[in-house]
Amino acid sequence: MKHLDLFPFSAIIGQEALKLVLILNAVNPRIGGVLIRGEKGTAKSTTVRALSMLLPEIKVVTACPYSCDPDDPDNLCDQCAKNPSGLKTTVRRQKVVTLPLNATEDRVSGGIDFNRAVKEGVRTLQPGVLAEAHRGILYVDEVNLLDDHIVDIILDAAASGRNRIEREGISFAHPSDFILVGTMNPEEGDLRPQLLDRFGLSVEVASEKDPDLRILMMERREAFDQTPTDFLRQFDHENETIAGRIESAGEILRQVKLPKYLRTLITEICTENNVAGHRADLTIEQAAIAHAAWCRRVEVSAEDIQAVAGFALLHRRREAAPPPPPPEEDKKQEAPPDNEPKDKQKDQEQPEEMSDDPMDKAQQEPSEPEPGDPDDSSEQERQEQEKPRPEDIVEQIFDVGETFKVKKIISPKDRVFRRGSGRRSRTRISQKQGRYVKSTMQRKSGDVALDATLRAAAPYQIHRSYERNGLAVCLKPEDIREKIREKRIGNFLLFIVDASGSMGARGRMAASKGAIMSLLMDAYQKRDKVGMLSFRKDEAFVNLPPTSSIELAARLLKEMPVGGRTPLSAGLVKGYEIIRNYLLREPSARPIVLIITDGKSNVSLGDRKPVDEALLLASKMGADDRVQYVVVDTEENGLVRFGLAKRLANETSAAYFKIDDLKADTLMNIVKESNRQ
Amino acid sequence: MNKRPIYPFTAIVGQEKMKLALILNIINPSLSGVLIRGEKGTAKSTAVRALADILPSIDVVSGCPFQHSPLGKHDVCMECGHDTCREAVLGEKEVSVETRGINVIELPVGATEDRVVGTMDLEHALKKGEKRIEPGILAAAHRGILYVDEVNLLDDHVVDVLLDSAAMGVNTIEREGVSFSHPARFTLVGTMNPEEGELRPQLLDRFGLCVNIEGIHDPDDRVAIMERRMQFDEDPGVFCKTWEPESRKLADTIKSAITLYPEVTMARELLYEAASYCLEVGVDGHRGDIIIMKTAKTLAAYNRQREVKKDDVDAAAELVLPHRIRRQPLQDIVVDVKSMRKAG
Repeated sequence: MKHLDLFPFSAIIGQEALKLVLILNAVNPRIGGVLIRGEKGTAKSTTVRALSMLLPEIKVVTACPYSCDPDDPDNLCDQCAKNPSGLKTTVRRQKVVTLPLNATEDRVSGGIDFNRAVKEGVRTLQPGVLAEAHRGILYVDEVNLLDDHIVDIILDAAASGRNRIEREGISFAHPSDFILVGTMNPEEGDLRPQLLDRFGLSVEVASEKDPDLRILMMERREAFDQTPTDFLRQFDHENETIAGRIESAGEILRQVKLPKYLRTLITEICTENNVAGHRADLTIEQAAIAHAAWCRRVEVSAEDIQAVAGFALLHRRREAAPPPPPPEEDKKQEAPPDNEPKDKQKDQEQPEEMSDDPMDKAQQEPSEPEPGDPDDSSEQERQEQEKPRPEDIVEQIFDVGETFKVKKIISPKDRVFRRGSGRRSRTRISQKQGRYVKSTMQRKSGDVALDATLRAAAPYQIHRSYERNGLAVCLKPEDIREKIREKRIGNFLLFIVDASGSMGARGRMAASKGAIMSLLMDAYQKRDKVGMLSFRKDEAFVNLPPTSSIELAARLLKEMPVGGRTPLSAGLVKGYEIIRNYLLREPSARPIVLIITDGKSNVSLGDRKPVDEALLLASKMGADDRVQYVVVDTEENGLVRFGLAKRLANETSAAYFKIDDLKADTLMNIVKESNRQ
Repeated sequence: MNKRPIYPFTAIVGQEKMKLALILNIINPSLSGVLIRGEKGTAKSTAVRALADILPSIDVVSGCPFQHSPLGKHDVCMECGHDTCREAVLGEKEVSVETRGINVIELPVGATEDRVVGTMDLEHALKKGEKRIEPGILAAAHRGILYVDEVNLLDDHVVDVLLDSAAMGVNTIEREGVSFSHPARFTLVGTMNPEEGELRPQLLDRFGLCVNIEGIHDPDDRVAIMERRMQFDEDPGVFCKTWEPESRKLADTIKSAITLYPEVTMARELLYEAASYCLEVGVDGHRGDIIIMKTAKTLAAYNRQREVKKDDVDAAAELVLPHRIRRQPLQDIVVDVKSMRKAG
């Protein structure tokens, strides 16, 4: 691996912010890492890997797998701490350790050393990635795709600076103080706020817009691919200059002073931006010191703070924005879910932008019996809520309203083993992936839990010595243990959408469509299967049979017309049919049914009153505990409320949400609320 | 296994774009793969499997499970159990080399993560009490072609792993007590039927080229397809023999294109053209530019020119950009790049 040619740092064009932030981290490890967010193909990973050639050298205890610092006797691993005076030291370059996405827990934190366990019968620790990354950089490509339990381990180590291992009969602790560098593409889903906050700084990267620079980039890349060695030589000198500057900056770092009045400035900046917690203050301080040192000054100035504050605030002030939206205004139909401003004003601007789209107009006009643009009217409706609306609408197509990030909707844990992938609900899994939670004596998957097997065999070794055949351990079939694993998989989401006339009033359909679209995007990120049916007039239509194609669902949603009466019962029955068929095919599946309605049923299937009939059906459907229901109430907040959707939710023992309740309480929301106070 | 005759690549009727994209990738593996999107029964898989016939051969250290090149000093895996190969290559000693065709490795949709990346060799561990790596599919695909049929149906974590290695050219294993890394640079060839759901943008971007194919509408061609298929089914040996001269001709063209490629030059205004293509249609990142340039140069080499022409850039853009054009969330993939550019 060490022989792999890396694209040189100094040959990377543009991305100055990214380079600066990485350099600052190399100068001052106390900044606490970088999160690099941006679209694909913007040299995110290339830059980070290139950094490894520029890192300063550090003194380490010779042959210590944990890279202990001999000058820091308080922070040694258990091994070195036994003999703190007799340590030999070596000097080596700081490492960039890559954490691959396929990593398992035992390799991240460390696990039993199998070779020694078997050969010598000693229980020792084989250090993991966290040990290797100590005093270096821990680099996670596509950090947002990392498994949750691995994230937990990293968070834990990052918070305490030590990695404690209590597993497989080993108890050990070693320092693990690393710079966490992650790259991510926000299209693929966001990070947990907890992890987000761990990154000291964050940068947005975007592609270069200047054609000349793009040409230069193409030329360099091609030169590198064809003759890597020559290309590297060309940039050797420049690379060395940067490396030298990083090193000398690191040396003067301790002398850099931060004047008191500037500390106040930092606090002011943080308060102004409504940052949660104090990490931002500390990060800005450290980054400013590093910046000063990098500029060869021994006193921090206000410019230093200005230069770095943005990077520390970007992901804390609010959820950092995804890559810049396309420049064409008319293509801005729905922005990605997480950069949507939540205030009322923007809420109203959004549909206006959408109605600019000629495509949408073309779709709407033929189906619009009333004069005027339907969008405009729904727009006005929103502003003047009390304006009466004629009830004789036949059919309309509403635009998709505001989208947002939705709350977690998951199905409860149980003991059924499943196969699959995705990232919604935790489940026991019958594949060889996921978190190894415990071992079992049942043998069916061939997924041997070595540690448990060895432990099981250990007590009998004395009695088996005559049958060992020269092996260190004699295993018998009855010793073998297998792993029980757990991971997240996608669910099947069935959307039952009320498309009756009552939904058309007051732009409610636009809002509902927005909510459904948000749920669909969430489903896309969680890799669910979806199905959709709508009910209006006298019957229910299956718009989309169960599929993985969320694109199709989104397109159908946009085209879904609204109008007519509300045959809620028919919708429920149809939905139940789909679910039943799906369960016949995949008995272990756990479908989630999302009913989006105001509950005002007015067409029945039989002789009962429509509402009663629907509720009766609902209670029967709710009896099947393999299916989970979610009711999204679209009824307006007003004086007269029927609360029928709420009753429907009670009957099916469903989770009940209003559209607004669906929104996830992100960091951003919390900040917004405190802003208003 | 190799004895079974394969339908010859050159005998495939039509689908020129797909064939071209595959050939370009053989000439220049740094184009990083092709994604073939199309309906069922459009010779997608046949074409990829047929590639084996026309692939050039490579030198590998014999017995090395990772297909190491005897010349590639910089990609020796330091932790490899095969000490002989590492020492020999680093010490520039004589090493036994075998020359063989490039592998086309198929990744089945149901593959599990441990088979893809490699895992601990349990049998060896329990018998000998030693850890040893059991190389996975990525190791077998190094310097070869990794073919994923129905790539959009691939399990998500397998996709993540693929992304990881495709991006770095290295497969790093940190699982089940094994810590190991080995080079894994492969040409990713995927086929998919868009009706079954789209690929994630991130994976989409990793494919250098993208072709949309559909069934052939010309009745004559359809008849030709049926005839050839029938001949092949009746007597594969004879059929392959009749097509052999043509296959060899193509293989030779590819070989000469490979040698010509480093000499191909591209004028500055054409580089500018490539960049403006990307800027005008709206593409994320810079991978688009770079791949257009490489594709155009490869095309030139394939056509035996030493210089890239404007047509090459246009043709390259048609192959490189369709799946890269920035889309709204959940929107379809653009088919016609040129019209996009005019519209933009």
